[in-house]
Amino acid sequence: MPVYGNKTVSPNGDSLDYTLPVFSYLDQDSNTVDVAAIQNKIFVAEFFFTSCPSICPKMQQQMLRFYEKYKDNSDVIILAFTIDPQRDSVGKLNTYAHKLKIETSKWHLLTGNKDSIYALAESFLVSAAEDADAPGGHIHSGNFVLVDAKQRLRGYYDGTNEESVTKLLDETDLLLQEK
Amino acid sequence: MKPICFYKKSNTTPVKVKRILQIISPFTLVIIIIIFIWNIITHGSIQHPGKSSYQTKCAQCHGDNGEGIRVLIPPLLHSDFAKNNFDSIPCWLKNGISHKIMVNGVEYEQPMYGLDMDEVQIANVMNYLSKELLDTNCEINSIEVKAKLINCN
Repeated sequence: MPVYGNKTVSPNGDSLDYTLPVFSYLDQDSNTVDVAAIQNKIFVAEFFFTSCPSICPKMQQQMLRFYEKYKDNSDVIILAFTIDPQRDSVGKLNTYAHKLKIETSKWHLLTGNKDSIYALAESFLVSAAEDADAPGGHIHSGNFVLVDAKQRLRGYYDGTNEESVTKLLDETDLLLQEK
Repeated sequence: MKPICFYKKSNTTPVKVKRILQIISPFTLVIIIIIFIWNIITHGSIQHPGKSSYQTKCAQCHGDNGEGIRVLIPPLLHSDFAKNNFDSIPCWLKNGISHKIMVNGVEYEQPMYGLDMDEVQIANVMNYLSKELLDTNCEINSIEVKAKLINCN
């Protein structure tokens, strides 16, 4: 499986893979989720917002497949970042999580500073932006991003496409073997 | 002055086109039958005209089989709310729903947004819904849909 992002060269000449920057956000139970929480975990990331009328329901339906498959595997988690943090408070995310009937420890719905989340989307190499003309006021990629235990980007999948998400499940299994 | 006329007499049709039409026309029936059989092969049966609209406009949220998403998005499959308010569906499709609703004993509050659909699409999708998902014999045509749309709030 490929490793995405530009490689860098360390001072002693080694080639270094691109890894995610550090981040820290609050989830639906007000827990802080940061580098420590993803240490040695494989995770899949998505960018969404709770009032999203267009692609999000389909994405969540597909993400539920992932959730159900790795429900009992503590090496795998889901991080869903809201791109509408002004409206999506911890309380709102909590209600949303209840409606999806998901466990916080497995599927973190994360909110925080808006600019920081948009910058984070960029570091995941996916797009997210405000757009008054778009349904719900935001545009974003429906991609799911697979990240390995070393915080390297390993795969991109269309979260609105069943086949693509099946590929995500297969490749997550591959990563688990790699681990 | 030349008359402005869309359907001109065919004497302006190029000879080449005429010739092709002459060759194809005896096979028209055969072509129709082939398309018919092809439909049965690819879809298993003749596809309901509302199915494609359902898939592009509704399935995104309500699921391919109308199952909904947990307590977030209500099901359409055997939905008592849709059955009991069948006449309101045209206006929901046009304007959405922004209040809480009770579907099969469960409360849902995720807003539904209005969709860009014309009366023919709405009639087709409602008949598909009625037949395939609600299991009722309700039927509606585009003229009735249009009348309902005029009276939406």
